Amino acid sequence: MRRLKQAWELVMDFREGIEDPVEHVFNVFEAIRRWEARVNAYISLESPDLIVEEVERIARGINAGEKVGKLAGLLVSVKDNICTSFLPTTAGSRMLDPYIPPYDATVVKRLLEEDAIVVGKANLDEFAMGSTTELSAFGPTRNPWDLERVPGGSSGGSAASLAYGGSDLSLGSDTGGSARLPAAYTATVGLKPTYGLVSRYGLIPYGNSLEQISPMARSVRDVALLLDVIGGWDPLDATSLRVDKPRTFTTSKADPSKVTVCVVKELSEGAEDVIERAYWRILKKLESEGVELREEKLPVASKALPAYYTIAFAEAASNLARYDGVFYPTKGGGSTWEEEVELARMKGFGREVKKRILMGVYALSEGYRDEYYIAATKVRRVVRDEVSRISRSCIIASQVSPILPPRLGERLDDPLKLYAMDVYTVIANLAGAPALVQPIEFYNGLPIGIQWIGKPLGEGSSYP
Amino acid sequence: MKVTIGLEIHVQMSEAGSKLFCNCKADYRGLNVNTNVCPVCLGLPGALPVVSKRSVELALATSLALKCEIPKFIVFTRKHYFYPDLPKNYQISMIERAGGVPICRNGVISFLDPSRWEWKSCRIRRVNIEEDPGRTVYEEGGITGSPYALVDYNRSGVPLLEIVTEPDIETPRDARLLVEYLLLTLEYLGVTNPRLEGVFRVDANISLDGGERVEVKNIGSIADVEKALNYEILRQSKIREAGGVIERETRHWDPVRGVTRPLRHKEYEEEYLYFPDPDLPPIAITEEMVKGALKIAVEADLQALLSELLKHNIPPEHAWSIVSTKPALDLFKKVVSLGGDPQVVARMLAVDYKGELREQGKDPYDPSNWPPPDTILELSKLTLTGVYPYDTIKGLIIPNLVSNPLARLETLVPEKAGDLDLVVEEVLREEVRAVKDYLEGKTQALNYLVGRVIKKIGRKAVDPRIIRGLLEKRIKAGAPRT
Repeated sequence: MRRLKQAWELVMDFREGIEDPVEHVFNVFEAIRRWEARVNAYISLESPDLIVEEVERIARGINAGEKVGKLAGLLVSVKDNICTSFLPTTAGSRMLDPYIPPYDATVVKRLLEEDAIVVGKANLDEFAMGSTTELSAFGPTRNPWDLERVPGGSSGGSAASLAYGGSDLSLGSDTGGSARLPAAYTATVGLKPTYGLVSRYGLIPYGNSLEQISPMARSVRDVALLLDVIGGWDPLDATSLRVDKPRTFTTSKADPSKVTVCVVKELSEGAEDVIERAYWRILKKLESEGVELREEKLPVASKALPAYYTIAFAEAASNLARYDGVFYPTKGGGSTWEEEVELARMKGFGREVKKRILMGVYALSEGYRDEYYIAATKVRRVVRDEVSRISRSCIIASQVSPILPPRLGERLDDPLKLYAMDVYTVIANLAGAPALVQPIEFYNGLPIGIQWIGKPLGEGSSYP
Repeated sequence: MKVTIGLEIHVQMSEAGSKLFCNCKADYRGLNVNTNVCPVCLGLPGALPVVSKRSVELALATSLALKCEIPKFIVFTRKHYFYPDLPKNYQISMIERAGGVPICRNGVISFLDPSRWEWKSCRIRRVNIEEDPGRTVYEEGGITGSPYALVDYNRSGVPLLEIVTEPDIETPRDARLLVEYLLLTLEYLGVTNPRLEGVFRVDANISLDGGERVEVKNIGSIADVEKALNYEILRQSKIREAGGVIERETRHWDPVRGVTRPLRHKEYEEEYLYFPDPDLPPIAITEEMVKGALKIAVEADLQALLSELLKHNIPPEHAWSIVSTKPALDLFKKVVSLGGDPQVVARMLAVDYKGELREQGKDPYDPSNWPPPDTILELSKLTLTGVYPYDTIKGLIIPNLVSNPLARLETLVPEKAGDLDLVVEEVLREEVRAVKDYLEGKTQALNYLVGRVIKKIGRKAVDPRIIRGLLEKRIKAGAPRT
């Protein structure tokens, strides 16, 4: 693949007249034309005419020396579980095909205020439930690095669009690793922000207490640029933190000798050899630059995966109750209300979604709630305490996935293996802590990434 | 026979301004269907609830008024059930399961039996804040026969208080009095307007002599609380007399026929999947919030308001009549603070003015149907100076004032007797024949004379009874002076 410019470089080049934003748009269109049919990163694309019209307006502004937004002229793909009033928002489900929300998500508003252009809505596992982007009602997304393989999920469309140059920046979402796993599998960067740093208003919920809209890009700097635009308190989201807009883009790189990295045993073992070797190579390199390495233990980690899935399924079962054939496009055609609800849900939801609803209902049922849901929330508390204890003095280095990107269909047969792909990533969601994934190496043409878990609101402070 | 009654009262916080979780209006009445809605109260995917501060403040004031234990923080929970008028298919409430924390636990309400002037009390188990669902309208055939249903979401998300009592109530009458007193308290708190259509519903649990309890749902008026429970006592007694056993069940109050009917039996245990709403973090109840709510609660202490009135030696029934009509109390306080005699003012407002409002079919709870304090002050002074007999004020001035509360007093007050004397003399001089007729026993001649006097006075309001009295007195006293 040709070297793709980073978004922050583009912003500078547009401003200095080195690159023409209109020409850039046509480059992106060309990438989409060449790749999209094979990759299927998008569920819907904005009309090229509208995009051109918009970028011409922005280009005129730049040329006239007017003040333009921080993202002026950049093309952003938006995961299709984030509401847009100008493009359908399906959450990858037949249930919402085609649903056009009457409002924009807060993050989308903030993008548009900074003159970003939404190029299209990115593919995802249905309602963000999956780790491979194979479970979309609109067909799987393929990994641009190897079209036989998955791009990870559930924000696979976002990651793939970045990887092949079909967007400059992307918004994903991350409930248990949904932005970070695809980043690792596509050699892009994904940040799951501190819980509450980015407004969830307009994010179609899967696991409300775990998930964050996540900036994704081709570099850490780009992710910082995007985070600064979308982050900060939103009065429309009661779980959003009362903090100022983040300013991570201008943070300078930390002095290695002042950085401590914690190698948490439970988050660094158990992956395929090639991944473990790559992990240690980067850590040793950092150590040689002066970074201090320290070992830590997180014994509760073994309980994190079941706790995570219990909470996520319980919340999902509740969140998905609203799809009953009344407001949304998939109708049951039943002759009574009960029948209508049953048929609409039968037709509208895919298998994985139904499975998760059933498990969530089970976990919340009278008589089982204590054993499952309540027990899981207790594990969450321990994870939160432990992670915040460790991250107070260091950045946690962790694997992202135990395996390299699997082939399409490879993991689907065994749900436990599928869920196990999230073993390293769910910790940050349970803890509410920020976690960033960036690429470190390639093995046989397949990307390998590393994950850094920081302290709450530690975004931008000190990634090595 | 020992009767045990517990109540569950749902009251809309119609005066809270906004809905519980969005900026749509709390009082949706009179709006076109489905116009008082937004992504939040329609439960659209991605829209998030944000708790209205005012609702929490008012609920907190209610909890203080009910002497509840106030929690350190409150936690909203989701209660799941599928229903067309519940757009998310879950209701956000505060059920105490899986970590839900209501705004009030273990309170008590003291309520008045005004006709016996007896105070009673009932423990309050808890008070929840929750959202009202939308409204389903069935076409002909009702819920079972209608081929379709229409849903209006204007009500969806309106803040509700769910007030649950312990089963401490012993008679249907007490149940009614409790509800009446509670609603009045909520009105004084500025929580609700109890007279709005559908603003509250009562569910009542009743058991006789320790038998199984029966729940009666859907009681929508204060009077029906007593009626429904009396009906239930009668129904259950009959079954027992015939040797039957009361089974635990839920029944529906039919206000038109005045009977309770069994609801369809549920084939399965209800499963609501309660858990704390992850979109709504716990809300801390700070000291500052309690202080603010206390200010509201103090103003709504009916017991204190009543004893304030009783201090002025106002008859208890007048005091209750005033307190139970908030605009009357507001007016009373103002007039007394301006120097009005409390007893006279109380009688004037509680008995005469309020009675005349009812007579003329005007709403006593609408402040605009009451005159400004100055008018009442002047009237009460007139009474005390004896210029007019109280009957004149009651029979003549107050009816006119009720028709036009903003009228200036001068235009309502009849001519003073002194001025009238001259007119009467004049008429007697002119109408010698009529006087003669009257003296000869033609009593209707007096009516004619009264008419002449009224005509001469012109448009000013005079009580004809006064004129009649004057004429009679004068004629009996002898021929007019010439």
